[in-house]
Amino acid sequence: MIAASSTALPLETVEPIAAVAAEDWLFVLDNYEYLLAGAVITVALTATSIVLGLLLGFPAGAIELYGGRFSSGVVRKAGVAIRGTPILVIMVFTFFVFPLEWLYVLPASEPFQAAVLALGVRSAAYQSQIFRGALRSIDPGQLEAAQSIGMSKREAIGYVLVPQALRRSVPGFQNEFTIVLKDTSIAFAIGLGELLRHSHDLMTQQTTAALELFVFASLIYFLLTISTNRTLDYVNDRYAIPGEG
Amino acid sequence: MASSTDARRLTLPEIRIGRVLAVLAAVAFWGWLLTRWINDWVLARIGIGPGAGVHFLEAEPFETTAERLAASADAYGPFAGVVDWVGSVVGAVGVAVDIAPVLAVGAWYTIVLTVVSIVLGLLIAVPLSLVRVYGGPFRWLALGYIELIRGTPLLAQLFVLYFGLPFAVWLHGVETIGQGPIPDQAFIIAVVGFTINSSAYQAEYIRGALESVDRGQLTAARSVGLSQLEGLRFVVMPQTLRYAIPAWTNELVYLIKYSSLAAFITVPELYYRASRIASRTFEHTAIYASIAIVYLAIVLTATVLMSRVEREVAIPGLGQAEGRHQGKTEGERE
Amino acid sequence: MTAQRTDERDNERRRAEHEPLLRIENVWKSFGTEQVFRGIDLEVDRGDVEVLVGPSGSGKSTLLRCVNRLTEIDEGAIYLDGERVTDADANVNELRQQVGMVFQDINLFAHLTARENVTLGLRRVRGFGKSEARDRADRELANVGLSDQVDSYPAQLSGGQKQRVGIARALAMDPKLMLFDEPTSALDPELSNSVLEVMERLVEAGMTMLVVTHEMRFARSAADSITFLEGGQVVERGPPERLFERPERERTREFLESIYG
Repeated sequence: MIAASSTALPLETVEPIAAVAAEDWLFVLDNYEYLLAGAVITVALTATSIVLGLLLGFPAGAIELYGGRFSSGVVRKAGVAIRGTPILVIMVFTFFVFPLEWLYVLPASEPFQAAVLALGVRSAAYQSQIFRGALRSIDPGQLEAAQSIGMSKREAIGYVLVPQALRRSVPGFQNEFTIVLKDTSIAFAIGLGELLRHSHDLMTQQTTAALELFVFASLIYFLLTISTNRTLDYVNDRYAIPGEG
Repeated sequence: MASSTDARRLTLPEIRIGRVLAVLAAVAFWGWLLTRWINDWVLARIGIGPGAGVHFLEAEPFETTAERLAASADAYGPFAGVVDWVGSVVGAVGVAVDIAPVLAVGAWYTIVLTVVSIVLGLLIAVPLSLVRVYGGPFRWLALGYIELIRGTPLLAQLFVLYFGLPFAVWLHGVETIGQGPIPDQAFIIAVVGFTINSSAYQAEYIRGALESVDRGQLTAARSVGLSQLEGLRFVVMPQTLRYAIPAWTNELVYLIKYSSLAAFITVPELYYRASRIASRTFEHTAIYASIAIVYLAIVLTATVLMSRVEREVAIPGLGQAEGRHQGKTEGERE
Repeated sequence: MTAQRTDERDNERRRAEHEPLLRIENVWKSFGTEQVFRGIDLEVDRGDVEVLVGPSGSGKSTLLRCVNRLTEIDEGAIYLDGERVTDADANVNELRQQVGMVFQDINLFAHLTARENVTLGLRRVRGFGKSEARDRADRELANVGLSDQVDSYPAQLSGGQKQRVGIARALAMDPKLMLFDEPTSALDPELSNSVLEVMERLVEAGMTMLVVTHEMRFARSAADSITFLEGGQVVERGPPERLFERPERERTREFLESIYG
């Protein structure tokens, strides 16, 4: 049986909600620079991770599809392992387990680089699938046609298949982009001062403003995902091949 | 250069060995987990077995072996590095054995959190997607909800619920929360958060699947005299849900992994328990590798089970829809 | 009291004798700015086969869809068996039960076997029991020559087989009127024949049918009357021999020649 509690809130804490909210929103506004600084870190983290994911992921996708038995097997198994592990675990791994100095080449803090490594490698594991799927979706006749005009297989893949596959990867890439953007919030775990961490820090100063702070942070995330999507929609249209999709 | 299909085709014995190893690993993992749960929550209560939380294996032999290897590594000359590495692996196994009982309890929370949230999420997602597609003026409402949830991070949503709303205060007042089989408030808030989050994503997959069902199907249903709602119920939905299975599998995998975020609102699931031990013992590598393996095992099991479900309900000529991540991502599904 | 009842019975008999099964009265319809019908009148008697012909976009399919209210008309009225079915408060689901429809794109329920395609309406609409519905479905499928395919899914059937399941599905509802919307135009010629044979058998059995088709051989042999529709109006209507041999309107002759060769 669920019984209502006798220890209801004392009356004096039940203030007019509007007054409380106004005060807390003022607190958010007073600290907007600190929050925006967090948002800048979020954007930088997203961009860097996506680039790392691209650099690792697209070759990985090609190797998985066209590589030899050993190389494609290794790439595939690594991909399965990375995609089956929570990003949170990957991130604490890169932070605590691999503080390898030679990996940390960027002029940025250690948590930032650990987060980039985690988000980037995880994203590569997914981007490789996007690219592999796009490569596979292209009619094998394209490869034959390219070879029939005298291209080697390597040239045919490079000049004919890859450009078409890149183009077809955009929708999947769009999805991936927003996932990385949202998952930067998980760098909270390793103390990186991104948007959510900054909101949380402020909350510890004024606990009544928790709702306002996190709603505000969510709105910024929302604006970022929306504008990312719109931009990539534009890219999609801009580079669309007439007659396709 | 070997052609792509040849390179990816494994020879028969290799497939057999791979499959046997996978089955053995699955049996070992689930055997351990189930025995652990039964031992801790059933047998221990009635006084049978080693008792709740007591180790099945002793960690000590692993630890002493590891120490001995590390100490004597130098004696192996050029192989010192290898011996040292073997020593640290043995040591890590020792740590894993040590924390195994705690991991089993954490895994229980992870699984329950995931399963409850995805089922509740589905119950919201089906009407939500129907409103999104067939809801007339209300479709904007559904669209707003879906986009807002999908456009913000899950962790931020959990914080809004946990820190921002007086949820915690309400639930705190309810005396039975956290008593006996009733989970505590953090767990309930996590379920609410994951349910809301998942409902939006699932609604979006179901919408995609709904739209891939030919409009003529509903017309045909109405032409034999079924009402709009009956047509949706008996003709459109059964096809939609089949289309949505692969996406739904990805959603399940997603929730298993992201249930780890519940740790930040103090739900004692797998990650939470592991990180507590790690911050005390500093055995980061061994501990996080252990839970990575547990997550991976749960994820792969879910994938295999779902592809079995997919095969069971498969109907010739009915296709599939994409999930939260593109492509057939998890496991060995080719 | 007795007199009243005799009256009612008289009315009923008179209606049965003089009222056509389907009466379309001054129907107007537009989609946005596009005027599809400008006052269509058409009557189909019990047991008759009416074939609608006309250039694409002349609204033949739309007219069929208006009859079972998959599309609503703007003005005018449609009567089925003397009942005004275009009233806002008329029971649409009941109407559709009495009017079977066969689609150009067939629209078999993709997740159900041939038999289940037929039993769905029987069970959910007509309230048949499980075995009763199954027996009826098997009988209907046997009538269209598909006894050996009852457990096949649509994707496992050829186009002609699928369309015959579509016909069986409609007939199982015991309709008073069958609507055929270009039933063979999505099929290869050699597959069309099996469908046309089934339709011819229906004609012999006395089913009232309203058919949109380009199969002029079928129109010639099976139709009691042909209606040529163009510009949202009935241009000409008459028995096939007269329409094919001696059309009254020049436009009719041109059109029939253009599709008949």
